[in-house]
Amino acid sequence: MRRFFSSALALSLVLSLTACFGPPVDPDTVQESIQVIAMDTPMVISTYGRRSTGAAYASEDLIRDLEARLSRTEEDSAVSRLNRGETVEPDEDLNTLLRLAACFRERTGGAFNIGIAPLVSAWGFTTDHNQVPDRSEIDRLLKVVDETAPQISPEGVSLEPGQSIDLGGIAKGYAADKLADLFREYEIPRAMAQLGGNVLAWGDRPDGSPWRVGVQDPARPGEQNAFAGILNLKNAFAVTSGGYQRYFEQDGKRYHHIIDPATGYPAESGLTSVTVVADCVSDDGMGTLCDAFSTALFIMGEEKALDFWREWQGVSPSLFDLVLITGDGRVVVTQGLAESFTLDEGSGYTLEIVS
Amino acid sequence: MKSSPKLRPNLWDALVVLAVAALAAGSALAVWRSGGAEAGPGTVVVTIDGREADRFPLEELLEAPRTYSGGGCTLELAYGLQGMEDPPLDHAPSAGEAGVRVAWADCPTQDCVRTGLITWSGQSIVCLPARIIVRLEGGTVEDGGVDAVVG
Amino acid sequence: MRLTTRQLTLCAVLTALALALSYLENLFPLALAIPIPGVKLGLANIVTVFALYALGPGQALMILTARCLLGAMFAGNVNALLFSLLGGLAAMLTMIGLVRLRQFSVYGVSVGGAAAHSCGQMTAAVITLGSAAPLYYLPILLAVSLATGALTGLAAACLFQALGHTNLRNLIKE
Repeated sequence: MRRFFSSALALSLVLSLTACFGPPVDPDTVQESIQVIAMDTPMVISTYGRRSTGAAYASEDLIRDLEARLSRTEEDSAVSRLNRGETVEPDEDLNTLLRLAACFRERTGGAFNIGIAPLVSAWGFTTDHNQVPDRSEIDRLLKVVDETAPQISPEGVSLEPGQSIDLGGIAKGYAADKLADLFREYEIPRAMAQLGGNVLAWGDRPDGSPWRVGVQDPARPGEQNAFAGILNLKNAFAVTSGGYQRYFEQDGKRYHHIIDPATGYPAESGLTSVTVVADCVSDDGMGTLCDAFSTALFIMGEEKALDFWREWQGVSPSLFDLVLITGDGRVVVTQGLAESFTLDEGSGYTLEIVS
Repeated sequence: MKSSPKLRPNLWDALVVLAVAALAAGSALAVWRSGGAEAGPGTVVVTIDGREADRFPLEELLEAPRTYSGGGCTLELAYGLQGMEDPPLDHAPSAGEAGVRVAWADCPTQDCVRTGLITWSGQSIVCLPARIIVRLEGGTVEDGGVDAVVG
Repeated sequence: MRLTTRQLTLCAVLTALALALSYLENLFPLALAIPIPGVKLGLANIVTVFALYALGPGQALMILTARCLLGAMFAGNVNALLFSLLGGLAAMLTMIGLVRLRQFSVYGVSVGGAAAHSCGQMTAAVITLGSAAPLYYLPILLAVSLATGALTGLAAACLFQALGHTNLRNLIKE
């Protein structure tokens, strides 16, 4: 009897050893998914591959760290101190962002401007007390916004009294850029990062097909799975700006959160949403560019936006592409996305491809 | 003594037992009827601090566990008995195990881990310290097959 | 409420006993057998039942409150306080009512108390989580409370039987 038990024990030991050598797992199918709420928006990051877990946690740290330093509502952040009138020694990230912001402001003819912050506050979009400001208040702030430019001296960066900046328009795009760097460092074969309205589609889907990114139908903002169309993307950033995301109503009129630095009022350009798509492998900083341009082009309107795109086509062909959704029911897609954009037939939009 | 206790159970006690049993049956009818009888859980809904944080088809857990944080605690959801030390790590789930459980958590109470596997729609796992509720719902996620949404 | 030194001492001893019992039951986690949050034997309820009969509602309530506060302090958990307070108070009020009716034995009283305790805890869970999801467990908790209530009832009955021969009566008298 004892012999029986000892042999059974030995057998079970051997069997338990084999459990350690289970069937080989394809490293590319290992997945880790994390959800964080940061920068005022829910974020979902799914990474694949052998080091997916490490990369997912590093992603969360990266985003929390950026938020702590760049948020306008975080009291101790460099941006908050800058807005309080202090002279701030910028770290590398802030330096890059300020430089990029200045560059994008120039390129977009002022449509993108991080100095818009005082106007956004006057409209109450940083708090929950939304209001239509007085005409005189808007005129005064327009002047402030127009003059806002961070001064760089040997001591650091500073703003004039009354001026303030908000990096909210590019911070998520910048975070997406940093995530792309991180995925590269971790040798992540594929990943999907959704940072609010900013998407980084890294690599392809596990089945080898492109990632499918739905473009929210601006006419049905609250609804899940209400798409104007679907973008099939590999290795790409996609960022959407639209007036339907945050707005308030007063005296029967709707005011959304994208303020035109030229008028001081919510942009009324005839567009309901602008999506900017760019490659995330060939050039650096494209996530930030997409984020900034989506806001700027929304303010510019269809005609100017397409001119802007064509101008860039002359300089750097297919650097980025656009999906414009108009208030009169059209979806305008630039040539580079003709293949990868599929209109949702049920949405009622008509598709136009432009070149 | 203030009042001398009766030490032997009597018919009145049976009344109390009946009342409690009736309450249990009544609440079971009220709570479980809405979804408990539905066959096959399809969707996992995760709520953190009263807000829906995630909603995904149960099958996605087969690919990989998912991690959620709240209230300073973190927990990981796994499919069926996958990843348990006993059965072994590479255990292939059978049909009866189509469910979700908390594989591990760093919360002090560990109640969520002890809850074990939930398999019916309508069932939920509650982690109080993390303020996370994991709930199974019937049906499948109608996601139109997209991986992400911009806008 | 004015207490004699004897009464106060007895209250303190009973509070300590209740705390010790709640610690003791953590060593035999019933939740391992029935994996549902909130399932426990409720041994501390024996003290509550005893105090209710021997000392009356006022002092029983004091012991209960002290036990909940101290227990939460030891656990370092504010959530736990709400849970044990709501559960304990619901149980206490139910048991006071049942004792007043003078028809029920210790078994009936403690089963009623255990069931009320479950309901109180459920209320606390619904409040803290802001969701009705925990209600899912209420039927099971109630069913379990039938068994645990009977068990604590048995323990209390044994206790009273054993004390019947001592002069506890004199001890409590002023």
